[in-house]
Amino acid sequence: MNLVFAAAIGVIFGAGVHLLLQADLLRVVTGLALVANAASLTLMSSGLTRGREPILPLTGDAEPASDPVVQALTLTAIVIGFATTALLLALIVVLYRRRHSVDLDDLSREEAEAAARDEAEEPALDAWRELGLEVDEPEVAR
Amino acid sequence: MSASAIAAVAVAAVAFVATWAAWAAGGFAVDVPWAPAWDLRLSLELDGLGLLYALLAAGVGVLVFAYASAYVPRHLAHEGRPRREEARLHGAMALFLVSMLGLVLARDLVLLFVFWDLTAIASWLLIGFDRANRSARLSALMALLVTTITAVLLLVAILVLRAEYGTTQIDELIAVARPGWAVALAGALIAAAALAKSAQAPLHFWLPRAMAAPTPVSAYLHSAAMVAAGVFLVSRAHPLLALEPALLDGLLAIGLLSIAVGGLLALWATDLKRLLAYSTVSQYGYVVVMLGVGGAAGAAGACLYVLAHALAKSALFMTAGAVTEATGRRELPRLGGLARRMPLLAAGSGAAVATLAALPLTLGFFKDELFFHAAAERGTWLAVAAVASAALTLAYLGRFWGGVFLGRSDAEVRPVPRRLVWPVVALGTLVVAGGIAPGPFAALAEDGAAVTAGGPAPVDVAYHLDGRTENVMALAAWLAGALLLVARPRLQGALSALARAGEAVGPERVYTASLAGLNALSNRIHDVEVRDLRARIAAVLVPASALIALGVVLTPTGGTYAVGPVELEDLPLVLVLAVGALAALATTRPRRHLRLALALSAVGFSLAVVYALLGGADIALVAVLVETLFALLFVGVFSLIPARELRREARRRSTGRTRARNLVIAATSGVVTTLVAWGAFSRPIPDDPAAERYLALADDAHGKDVVTVILADFRGLDTLVEITVVLVAAIAVATLLHGRFRA
Repeated sequence: MNLVFAAAIGVIFGAGVHLLLQADLLRVVTGLALVANAASLTLMSSGLTRGREPILPLTGDAEPASDPVVQALTLTAIVIGFATTALLLALIVVLYRRRHSVDLDDLSREEAEAAARDEAEEPALDAWRELGLEVDEPEVAR
Repeated sequence: MSASAIAAVAVAAVAFVATWAAWAAGGFAVDVPWAPAWDLRLSLELDGLGLLYALLAAGVGVLVFAYASAYVPRHLAHEGRPRREEARLHGAMALFLVSMLGLVLARDLVLLFVFWDLTAIASWLLIGFDRANRSARLSALMALLVTTITAVLLLVAILVLRAEYGTTQIDELIAVARPGWAVALAGALIAAAALAKSAQAPLHFWLPRAMAAPTPVSAYLHSAAMVAAGVFLVSRAHPLLALEPALLDGLLAIGLLSIAVGGLLALWATDLKRLLAYSTVSQYGYVVVMLGVGGAAGAAGACLYVLAHALAKSALFMTAGAVTEATGRRELPRLGGLARRMPLLAAGSGAAVATLAALPLTLGFFKDELFFHAAAERGTWLAVAAVASAALTLAYLGRFWGGVFLGRSDAEVRPVPRRLVWPVVALGTLVVAGGIAPGPFAALAEDGAAVTAGGPAPVDVAYHLDGRTENVMALAAWLAGALLLVARPRLQGALSALARAGEAVGPERVYTASLAGLNALSNRIHDVEVRDLRARIAAVLVPASALIALGVVLTPTGGTYAVGPVELEDLPLVLVLAVGALAALATTRPRRHLRLALALSAVGFSLAVVYALLGGADIALVAVLVETLFALLFVGVFSLIPARELRREARRRSTGRTRARNLVIAATSGVVTTLVAWGAFSRPIPDDPAAERYLALADDAHGKDVVTVILADFRGLDTLVEITVVLVAAIAVATLLHGRFRA
């Protein structure tokens, strides 16, 4: 079963990475959700024992209880993953309201144009002056 | 006086009295374990050297803090800033004082290093006090960078000594250290850090820049405290440095260079505070020279010099501040004739100038006597250099005092508060008292010098009316200094040329060029790596995958990977996993967003079934709940973004090259993840799994569901943090969607 779990995790993670690399921000968030799913599955399948639910009382001789530690960790991971994904989706909505696009290519193009505009309005000073260490008359406070 | 100013003065006064009382009571020592695993101890001890510097820092602190209580409110008013910001300055000054006390008392090098950096941080706060002023901020940054980057050298030296001798206690090190590469290397690094802190050439350039600080800061940091810390460290570590004579020769050379560079630039500078800053570079050069000469004579001279210089130099800085406050001017050519208008200030600063210029009847006379004595002991060439240095000092100090108080100018003199004058008068009185009755000062210096010299170092001070070498040298120095002062106007051209040359190719250029270069490099890397989100993800994932793959290839695999048994009863699990994997693959296909969300849900719900089959009832329930919420959330977001935007996005096609690149990166990550997970799952089961203990303990925690007990009890704090994260995320989502972020 080791290989089966590992293969499933690899496929889900790979699909998540593929989505992460898209320009569409909604796909990027979906990709993150998939990566989080892969992580949860990794935690669950790394349990040391498999068997019935770890709920007392356990009838000792029948089936072993499945590992409760990884279950607790997975539960935490799922909930945190949900909270962060919700936050990302809210960010996308706000981004759309401000920039009217959810596409990374559009956004980076816009950002580059804005940077070029700023540069044209106020050209970067040369290195010496930029560092405020002009040669002649340094300012001295009173 | 504001409450914060009173508090600062009180801190300094208490520190002064407590240090004095502790010394009178026979010393003071604390030694408690700090980090026993590294054999670090919080060890503080008051010895003669610590006493000298602690009394200076606290005593000058009392006067400077009192001066600041009158100066800073006026400074803030000039700058148009609220008066309450005064507390920031007093607080940082007090922090500096405490760090300085810790520094001089520390007997463990690591502890000393901590205080060393604390003084640098406090000085950064103080130099950059006028934070609206860009020049002040950059000057503060320069002082911080020069002193903390070199502080790393000190840390390296500590590690070298620890590796070689197994201790960081100064006294133990001095006892066991023998000449050799470790002491040579560590000694050179310690000296480099100390000389940068004392603004010695070629790392002197930060000190004139630091004059962007308000005057009380300069009067404190750049006379009695910050720059004194450097020569203090050399004095403290002197028995180590003395094991390698080459190190002492290096000190001698750097000290002479600093005397010359600082002195000539002080003779050239016209701004009052810059002149004093260059003078500080030069005067600490004297101390470094005497430490380089070493022995009892050098140690004695260095200690008395530090004492006399700190008292006089802080008086002169405070004079500069009072003069500028009275006239609104700070350039020598535009000042003059203030002796009649401000007689008390003229007298007080006159005494300070006289002591620095080593005129008789001042404490400073003896500091030069010891300096000449140490130099003459070393050789004729150093005696000549010493006389030249003293002449230079006399010339620029005469120019400073004469330029301000003699002659005439059109400057309008406004009255200044008394608290800007009497600290100067107090210090002037003190140095004249030291000239008449040098006994207590000599005793203080003698106790300090004994630590540096590692044995008795008598400070013999008295006036001798005879033709001994020191007297001849002093006479020669006064004569040469007076000639230099008279001839100075003719030298102005040459001095300007020197200053310009220093600015054009000097070390400050190296500093700015390296900073600009680092900035450009950082921008370049930023541009390459952070062009967009995808490039950044690729920049993280691809090298990470490559490294892990390399690790997998290089690690012996024998028995590492086990396929593991697949029983018939595992069939449902395999099938559901296959469905989940297929659904994951499906998310990469559809262009429409709704189908994308459905495919994501399919993955999530399949995994919920997997969790149920693995015996995780709670997890399965949570996963179903979360996946349902996810589906709703995605649909909700789709409804907030207009359908035409979603359709436009769905129709986009990336170029073939990008698609191929994405595919390769995704496939590589997937394969590597599989390998890593497979390797992890194939590890043998440990003997004593934590699960068994949890299962056994759950009943005691009055819970039946072990997972719940773990979350709510055994790992309750984790769960609390987790709930906090969820809560913060919820608040953030609410703020983003309904708050003032609405566009």
